[in-house]
Amino acid sequence: MKLTWIPVVVGAVLVVSGCAAKKGFEKGGFAFGCPIGEQKVGSMGDLVKAKTVSEGKRTTIEATEIRCTMAGDLIKIDANLNNDSSSVKRVSYKFRWINREGMRAWEEESWKPLMLYNNSNTMVTAVAPTNKAVDFRLILMSQE
Amino acid sequence: MRTLIAVLAIAALAGCAKETTRYGDARGVETVTNQFGSTDLQMIAESMARSMQDTSVIKSGNLPVVTVQEVRNKTSEYIDTRAITDSIRSELQKGGKVRFAVDASAMNQQVDEVKRQQQSEYYAKETAVQKGQMVGAQYRMEGNITSIVKQNQGTKDVYYKFNLQLWNIRNGLLEWSDEKEIRKTTTRG
Repeated sequence: MKLTWIPVVVGAVLVVSGCAAKKGFEKGGFAFGCPIGEQKVGSMGDLVKAKTVSEGKRTTIEATEIRCTMAGDLIKIDANLNNDSSSVKRVSYKFRWINREGMRAWEEESWKPLMLYNNSNTMVTAVAPTNKAVDFRLILMSQE
Repeated sequence: MRTLIAVLAIAALAGCAKETTRYGDARGVETVTNQFGSTDLQMIAESMARSMQDTSVIKSGNLPVVTVQEVRNKTSEYIDTRAITDSIRSELQKGGKVRFAVDASAMNQQVDEVKRQQQSEYYAKETAVQKGQMVGAQYRMEGNITSIVKQNQGTKDVYYKFNLQLWNIRNGLLEWSDEKEIRKTTTRG
């Protein structure tokens, strides 16, 4: 009689471990591969909001997706920029690299000009210049 | 008479035109003309250094020794390609994953200094450098910059292509290569 419980118990353990594996797929303090520290990031929108900063003249170009991975010991970032307007837009961007203490890990990057066709997306990619950079911000400025 | 007054007025205004000088953002986007400029240099240097850092030779953490060779300027304008390679070298050096050996252009100065230390009686023998201690590079970095310029009455279009390569000196293999393309268009009116 007692033996009939074994498959049920095994099944329950498998289900629980399966869920655990899915939950643990992302390391704590990371979202979509990107470092988030103590911030609460529940969606891609939250991550983009946390990592994107507008400086100077505001642009209508928006980052819609940011994903990170590690290239050796350096953070590698893919950020999708979207121009949903019906005209060509010009923007400049740079990444700001932040160290473990929340200070600048590298000198300020140069602004990189970029042209986006109307109703289009462009992926910008960056690799951290140093392994001291554990976090980043994507900074956008209009060039119109 | 009227012409004379107009000429005098223009001359007076031109004389009064105030000249101002301000500091700007050295890393800002510069679009004064469509010739090769500071933004192009910075973009190329940053892009190449980051791309090279992502290659297996550098990522291995073995601190490869690299020497910088010439970047040939195949454009029709004057470009100080040494300024580009200097920026790439600085960025890589600061990253701490590459070491640079003295390059051909600095070799004379290096040899002169070694000779000076060896030949001068003012140096303590134990601190004066000995011959045969320099480290040979394992890799050499070289490249090209080319441009295509098209122009009509109202538009000038310039396309730059910068190509950089990292060659293994021992076996002659190309370990890494990357390109950066830049397009600038100036329209009149």
